[in-house]
Amino acid sequence: MRDVATYGPSGGQPVERRTWSRLRYPDTLITFAVQLGILVFLGVSLVYMDVRLERLLEFGQRFGALIVDRYYPPELSLLSEPRYLQAILDTMQMAYLGTLFGLLLAAPLAWFAAFNMSPNRRFLYPFGRLAIMGCRAVHEMIWTILLVSILGFGMLAGALALTLFCIGFAGKLMSEEIEAIDKGQVEAIRATGANEVQVFFYSVLPQVRVAWTGIAIYTWDVAFRAATVVGFFGAGGMGWYLQRYVQQLDSQRVAAVLISIVLLVTVSEVVSAWARARVARAN
Amino acid sequence: MAVASATGGRLFDDRVFAVEHQRRRGRWRTASVACLFALLAVICLYNILVVDTDWARMGSFGEVLRSVGRFLAIDFELIPHLVEPVIETLMMSALGTALGALLCIPVIWLGAHNITPSRWIAYPLGRFAMTLSRSIHEIVWALVFVSAVGLGSLAGILALAMRSIGFIAKIVAEAIENVDPKPIEAIRAVGGNRLQVLRYGIVPQVLPVAIGVVIFEWDINIRRSAIMGLVGAGGLGLTFHRQMVMFNYPGVTTVILAILLLIILGEALSYYARKAVI
Amino acid sequence: MRYSRSGAEILKGVTLEVDADDFCAVIGPSGAGKSTLIRCINRLVEPEAGRILLYGEDVVTMSTRRLRETRRHVGMIFQEFNLVNRMSVMDNVLSGRLGSVGTMRSLLKLFGRDDIERALTMLDRVGLTDHVDKRADQLSGGQRQRVGIARALMQDPKLLLIDEPTSSLDPKIAREVMTLIRDVAREFKVPTLVNIHDVQLATEFCNKIIGLQDGLKMFDGPTEQLDRKMLDTIYAMEVL
Repeated sequence: MRDVATYGPSGGQPVERRTWSRLRYPDTLITFAVQLGILVFLGVSLVYMDVRLERLLEFGQRFGALIVDRYYPPELSLLSEPRYLQAILDTMQMAYLGTLFGLLLAAPLAWFAAFNMSPNRRFLYPFGRLAIMGCRAVHEMIWTILLVSILGFGMLAGALALTLFCIGFAGKLMSEEIEAIDKGQVEAIRATGANEVQVFFYSVLPQVRVAWTGIAIYTWDVAFRAATVVGFFGAGGMGWYLQRYVQQLDSQRVAAVLISIVLLVTVSEVVSAWARARVARAN
Repeated sequence: MAVASATGGRLFDDRVFAVEHQRRRGRWRTASVACLFALLAVICLYNILVVDTDWARMGSFGEVLRSVGRFLAIDFELIPHLVEPVIETLMMSALGTALGALLCIPVIWLGAHNITPSRWIAYPLGRFAMTLSRSIHEIVWALVFVSAVGLGSLAGILALAMRSIGFIAKIVAEAIENVDPKPIEAIRAVGGNRLQVLRYGIVPQVLPVAIGVVIFEWDINIRRSAIMGLVGAGGLGLTFHRQMVMFNYPGVTTVILAILLLIILGEALSYYARKAVI
Repeated sequence: MRYSRSGAEILKGVTLEVDADDFCAVIGPSGAGKSTLIRCINRLVEPEAGRILLYGEDVVTMSTRRLRETRRHVGMIFQEFNLVNRMSVMDNVLSGRLGSVGTMRSLLKLFGRDDIERALTMLDRVGLTDHVDKRADQLSGGQRQRVGIARALMQDPKLLLIDEPTSSLDPKIAREVMTLIRDVAREFKVPTLVNIHDVQLATEFCNKIIGLQDGLKMFDGPTEQLDRKMLDTIYAMEVL
């Protein structure tokens, strides 16, 4: 708190003493308490989990040696083996189907789940919301494990898991886009007496078309990354080999698989970026 | 299709024809693109359903349903054993996000083209780091760190941190690049130096965005944190794995429900926290 | 001067003088270079050639450090207020003293009692006593401009540069703001150079007019001497 003198219009004698302080009650107290609470929580976490920071420092020192020792040279010949190339193809197929069907299912669900345009607020809206949230909440790897236990090892479980993941991922983004549209265009179509489906196709879809294309490309990106790893838990693709070689402690092959994953993901990202640029230009 | 008209006559017919022609071409294009996608889908479906799937092992539809049914129960005895892993999962996500946010700072500095020290070297480096962080799946990061620092939550925390850097840095760097130049101009006009311009011009605009994205990423990290245990990096994932290995299907469902509850909690917290900041 | 090596010349050899008790307006059609002229003086825009003498010192050839010191004494008021929207009114006004408060202390927002006193006085003077702790983006346009005025006055400036203070305000508020500016300029005895497009306001409040057209100075003299014919010449290119 500060006692401050204020002066009249042309300087001279102090007119009154006013107080001004940067601290405001209760705002400053709340902010301070929250910040302190977060720090305390982090500190407690470190202690509770017995996080050995020395291990981290050790690791930092050994990092170079570790890499050279275990992972180098990477067994790059793996990348030319036909069964591994097949695995790469499998990964792409799983990712493709997962994205395609995921998007196809996400679109109507997003429509249901968008509060402003939902065709039926009593049932379809909660249904859409729950479906998307449900798919989102469960990690794609958990979906994979569950589906593998039901459907057995192989690409089917992976593709299905990726589909569910995409529904959750794309569904949320798509429904947010719908909620951001211009009501005027919708009103105009409604005024012609169109039914809900027609309203969707003639006033909602044209407005969200561009954004949804971007979301589709983004979803492919993320799904492909996940697809490279689902094999680790029993689905097909490159992840399968990753798991095998980790278990066999064949670090050089593990390194090769990791390198191929990073390479492929990078290529996929470049293609996505190009696709997105083209979409942006065409609009 | 010729349309007679009182006024235009042949000229009008031409125009109608031209419009129809355009629309037909448009429909053709959409149809052929759709066909391409469908063809690819059929090929993939064939490969998956016919070539890859072992239908014999899967059994009949009824057997599949029964498999699903095994999951539809809750193992109540497991619940008290979930408390520790749940806390560990939450803490891992918090520490991982916090560490990631800290490690972001140099990446942001390099990756925002209005404050980067060098547009040709530092900026691409920053952007590359962001992309790399996001391209590598959190499971892969977890595997890397488990092999480096051993099993346990430290590996999980590091994996989450590395995975989070990309997104946080990207959003904050973009916010810095899109900052409103007017307050910056004012601070320069008043005689402020570079640090003061940063503190008074850029930080007030960027800080709410930064805090918001960190909270958002923390919420996502809860989901990721739950599976770190699948590869030995701590948290609920380990419990999940154990239940699966013991074929305790109700137990598996219980763990998933616990994860869902955590995620709902996280989303609620994240929503209100972000509203308070923005 | 030019904005860029290859760009067109914005200001072509403009020479002018502002004396200590002037409230000088720069008028002219859009694109005439008025804003550029104002911004050259405190080198927010870098002039390519020429001299700008501020109390005898050439701004153009100053070192960065000396320039910052000089800027401390040149107050500037902007068309779009240029406030830090998320900061409070008080902090915005205090930021006028950034040049004089040490870097460390300014980063922690630790301003001395004198500065706070002065800020409160200025805020009283511009009539914003009740808004001291509000966030800048919670104020109306006219109020925001007054914060800008208070911020400029915080610097105890030896020169006041103003870039279109009223363009973003509606007519009644614009008049109030111009009155305030004229009054404080007189009260604190600060020479003022204002870029304004509303000729009516310019002739009403300022004692000296400079007319620019397409980078050239067309008129320079007391307001009384500005007549219809001269106005037509200055604004000849304007199509409206």
